[in-house]
Amino acid sequence: MKHILETIFLLILVAIIMAAGNTVGYNINFLASLEAMGVLVIISIIGFLISKLPLFKKLPVILWVSVVAAFVSSPISPLNEEIVRITEQVTLLAVCTPVLAYAGLSIGKDLALFKRISWRIIPVSLAVFSGTFIFAALVAQMTLHWEGVI
Amino acid sequence: MEILKDYRVHLLALLVVLLCEFIGSQTIWIITVYPMLYAMIIGGIISLPKLKILTEKNMHHASSIMLITLMLLIAKLGVGIGPKINEILHAKMALIFQEVGHFAGTILLGLPLAMMLGMGREAVGAAYSVAREPNIAIVADKYGLDSPEGRGVMSMYVCGTLYGAIWMSILASFIAKLDIIHPYALAMGAGVGSGSMMAASLAPISALYPAMAGDINAYATAANLISSILGIYIYIFFSLPFASFLYNFLARFKRKKIISAEVY
Repeated sequence: MKHILETIFLLILVAIIMAAGNTVGYNINFLASLEAMGVLVIISIIGFLISKLPLFKKLPVILWVSVVAAFVSSPISPLNEEIVRITEQVTLLAVCTPVLAYAGLSIGKDLALFKRISWRIIPVSLAVFSGTFIFAALVAQMTLHWEGVI
Repeated sequence: MEILKDYRVHLLALLVVLLCEFIGSQTIWIITVYPMLYAMIIGGIISLPKLKILTEKNMHHASSIMLITLMLLIAKLGVGIGPKINEILHAKMALIFQEVGHFAGTILLGLPLAMMLGMGREAVGAAYSVAREPNIAIVADKYGLDSPEGRGVMSMYVCGTLYGAIWMSILASFIAKLDIIHPYALAMGAGVGSGSMMAASLAPISALYPAMAGDINAYATAANLISSILGIYIYIFFSLPFASFLYNFLARFKRKKIISAEVY
């Protein structure tokens, strides 16, 4: 219970940081940014609570959040137009910056481990990350052509 | 409530975010860098153990909060899917097939290179996936984390955490500027199954094609969604066994070469 409450408070806190970034970086009214983040917080909380249910626990919370978000913004949801209009007030970039800021602030704890790893992992990791992106994009290019989408 | 009360981490995050957003996006040569990248680099510098600004505990808190911020990111991306649901259904075959590229791509490019550089069974753990949390769990379950495969996946995990997002952003920016692959296909490529890596590679693609940004975000998110739903099964039943098979197959050639070199 305590963990659930803490997660909800943290979501609200981070949402405020994101709204502030949205105002500073993209000149969007702070209250409008807060409104957009408010909707995203509610979607996240619903997804998070679903992921705590007995049967739904097996799949990651990220998956449930994304299913809830896709559902409420699709034409079957009565509020879809409202939700899309409100959440458009916050840019994707403004939401990304705090994610990587916190990721950066946690890097220090991994550096010691990194120093012990052989240099060979660096080129290999770059090849692995590039491989997944490039191969998927190439296959998508071919199948999209074939389906007539592009 | 310990994480919530860690005001030092929150205050630093807020300052880093505001500073980076204030600087805004900058283009150097053909690569555009976004506030999120400076945020990661500045955050990383602040967290350097030598500077003694953050304790180990602060950093663990930051990493727990990162998982929470990801929910908001995924929610933002998710509300882009609903309005585009018809387009996504129209491209369903591409969305399914491109996953083959995601799962095979890491192994096809990573494994031979790892072996050429002289890595042993570590190569299997390192190249079978993009090494996020579920991938560690799968290797831990099959080989244990003290095995060579376990060391491989853990090293990759650290690399992904340190510079995965930065590298994806540079790579996506570069490939998108070449203008040989359609932005929708690039968007699907960006859905690698890691929230931060997807966000980092998505930004330069949608910035380059602003008129298609809505569709680009929707395709990437849909691809990412499929990666995370099917991922765990594909990793267990295809990726890990295939990486192991390919290792053994290539290792035979390698050994033959060494033996023949010794004989002759």
